[in-house]
Amino acid sequence: MDWKATAALALLLGTASATAQQPITVALNADIRSTNPGVNRDDNTDAIVLHMVEGLVGYRENGAVAPLLAEAVEVSPDGKTYSFRLRKGVKFHNGAEMTSADVMWSWNRYMDPKTDWRCRSEFDGRTGMKVVEVAAPDAATFVMTLDKPSALFLDTMARTDCAMVAILHKDSVKADGSWDKPIGTGPFMLGEWKRGESVSLKRFDGYVSPRGDGRDGYVGRKRALVPEVRVLAIADGATVKAGLMSGAIDVADVPDSDVAEMRKSAAVQVLTAPSATKPAILFQTRDPLLGNVKLRQAIAAALDLDELVAQASNELGKTNNSAIYVTSPYYDEAQSKRYQADPAKVKRLLAEAGYKGQPIKIIANKRATVPSFPVAVVTQAMLQAAGIKAEIEVLEWATQLDRYSKGNYQMMSFSYSARIDPAQSYNQFSGPKDQFPSKAWDNRRADELIEQATLISDSARRQELFDELHELMLADAPLIFLYNQVDTAVVSKRLRGFAPWVASKPRLWEVSVAP
Amino acid sequence: MLRFALTRIVMAIPTLLIVAVSVFVLIRLIPGDPASLMLGDLATPASIADLRARLGLDQSLFTQFGIWFSHLLKGDLGVSINSQEPILPLILSRFWVSAQIVLVAVFFASLVAVPAGVIAAWQQDSTLDLGLVGAATLLLSIPTFWLGLLLLLFFGLKLEWLPVVGYVSIGDDPWRGIIYLIMPILTLFLHEIGVILRMARASTLEVLRLDYITHARAKGLSEGAVLWRHAFKNAFGPTWTLIGLVLGNLLGGIAVVETVFTIPGLGRLLVDSIFARDYPVIQGCMLFVAFCYVLVNLVIDLCYPIFDPRVTAQ
Repeated sequence: MDWKATAALALLLGTASATAQQPITVALNADIRSTNPGVNRDDNTDAIVLHMVEGLVGYRENGAVAPLLAEAVEVSPDGKTYSFRLRKGVKFHNGAEMTSADVMWSWNRYMDPKTDWRCRSEFDGRTGMKVVEVAAPDAATFVMTLDKPSALFLDTMARTDCAMVAILHKDSVKADGSWDKPIGTGPFMLGEWKRGESVSLKRFDGYVSPRGDGRDGYVGRKRALVPEVRVLAIADGATVKAGLMSGAIDVADVPDSDVAEMRKSAAVQVLTAPSATKPAILFQTRDPLLGNVKLRQAIAAALDLDELVAQASNELGKTNNSAIYVTSPYYDEAQSKRYQADPAKVKRLLAEAGYKGQPIKIIANKRATVPSFPVAVVTQAMLQAAGIKAEIEVLEWATQLDRYSKGNYQMMSFSYSARIDPAQSYNQFSGPKDQFPSKAWDNRRADELIEQATLISDSARRQELFDELHELMLADAPLIFLYNQVDTAVVSKRLRGFAPWVASKPRLWEVSVAP
Repeated sequence: MLRFALTRIVMAIPTLLIVAVSVFVLIRLIPGDPASLMLGDLATPASIADLRARLGLDQSLFTQFGIWFSHLLKGDLGVSINSQEPILPLILSRFWVSAQIVLVAVFFASLVAVPAGVIAAWQQDSTLDLGLVGAATLLLSIPTFWLGLLLLLFFGLKLEWLPVVGYVSIGDDPWRGIIYLIMPILTLFLHEIGVILRMARASTLEVLRLDYITHARAKGLSEGAVLWRHAFKNAFGPTWTLIGLVLGNLLGGIAVVETVFTIPGLGRLLVDSIFARDYPVIQGCMLFVAFCYVLVNLVIDLCYPIFDPRVTAQ
């Protein structure tokens, strides 16, 4: 090899090594709330914290639950006892090896009311499921026993808002028991958090990745391929766009309305994936007017849903009236049944409902991250065309959420956050209104079916229950799910391996910088 | 002077008290609940009630106010509902960021706009006057977020001279810190030039029409001496007051500029807290802003005798 070739090779290797050492910059629309998993949290917090901590189980790419820190999960024949066999050689960020004692410590901390864990009520019997006993028979086994079988136990353990019941080292808290910083087992560890500004995640060199051929949701291969990830809190959408164009930002979510513009840019690539977030039009079934099912059905028949979804999602989304997201294993042909626009049916149903032109108010907000306002505008236009008088009331998000919580609305353009298991998804909007005013659907039969779906683990039987629920929901029309919001990530062309997915949260492992 | 200052500080106490009570009540009149916002769409009435109890929001308004006010008297503004951070250090750290931008921008804007305003008045109706007034009106008319975005696109994207996003504290890295502050300072500087120039011009015009200016010219004084010694000193009072008001206003409210340039300042903290219904932070911020307003105007008043000997600090 002559000196020129040697020099060229050295230069190439040097450049490749330099790019491998470059950090990735991610923009989020707001700062994280804390570094305390599942305690003081929101979606952004979960997304970042779950790079530093991991649970016994996690979601796969399609939403199914699989072992993460566990090697395997065994369920007893009565469906009440779960034995988690832990992976060997997993290290915490401080170098200590994870054992069942750490799992026990973490569990006890979560279940302590002083911790304020968001999901404590999911496991202490207040919302049905109750863990009656936990044990660590040896260093590599952790056993949890429920009072009755539950199909939702593992899914709840994997939930991102529960922080996957992350296993922490006890040095994560100070001597007085207050939170210090996450010492977890994730591929990244906390660098520096500048509140209101940025979070820096550093690669954890001692990380032991789960086995797998590639990335698979929160499980599968999870190697940190860059030395640092910087997360910036940027509230202004125009600034995010400028940052992406200039190369100052590598990854950001953008509103659907900006996708066409970003696709024209040579500096970035636009990646999309349907998420489990569900934009919907809610009806208050206790409203004197909308309590009439015929009127609700008339409204459903008055909407050209394909057109509405195309307008609201800037032609990214596809109509889905089911509470189950389209890539779920439970999304079958029965779930694809939907409302169809039918002017003659509208006329008939309005006459049967005795509708006399009374105005109906649609509440919406103008947050850029959800299609609430465009959905309301297109719905209003379609209803007016069908002879239904609709008005829009735009509220600030906190005010709308207050009205939602109290059930104080006629119609509302709302988005339900992602729930992976169908029973969890139905639980979001179904239940007795006397007890839970925020619930959109109050139907005894539906509640029974959902209850069964939480107890039965057999997939085929669950599928039957969900299919019956879907039929019932379409007939009752307490709300109209429109589509699965599309997770749109704009990514610098220098990045390799980034992919949005159903949980709508960025994953920065298995992502590298191109040489 | 000291007595005047003390009297003014004592007089500020009722103002701050009124601010404290009105902010406390008004923020709670706005619909929306911090507990609902924190729990999201899966919240149940029980979980909301639980969280409200833990945050102390289930108690009567009088009790809540009593607790907050008793802590306030000890200099404790409480902790943020959202981040659990102590509020006073949070406000001070954010204020320091905003203050750097505001003070530098207003200082340079005054340095440019005051002489420009005096010259425009001196050359009233000339091409120069029309040009300066036109430019001032234009700068005043452009909203700061739009101006900021234009600068961002030009200096950040087109020329690639300045960073588009991010912030580095001057304390951490002085040179990079300054680089990150250039565009927000420039945005405010350009906007405030318009405000101050118009006031400087108007007040100088008024003075230039007075008899003693005619008398000074009749004495044979040079135009420079007439302008500096007789016109400027007498005309500067209203402009100085305006600078004080601008400063007080900006110190508590450059949220738009901070949002565009991703600066973690006081304005953004306040706006974020309003959206999150973080009551203690909103109360703390508003009280702090009111305090700044009072303090800046006190300093402005105390400086009057320096410019106008007819005014005494009594």
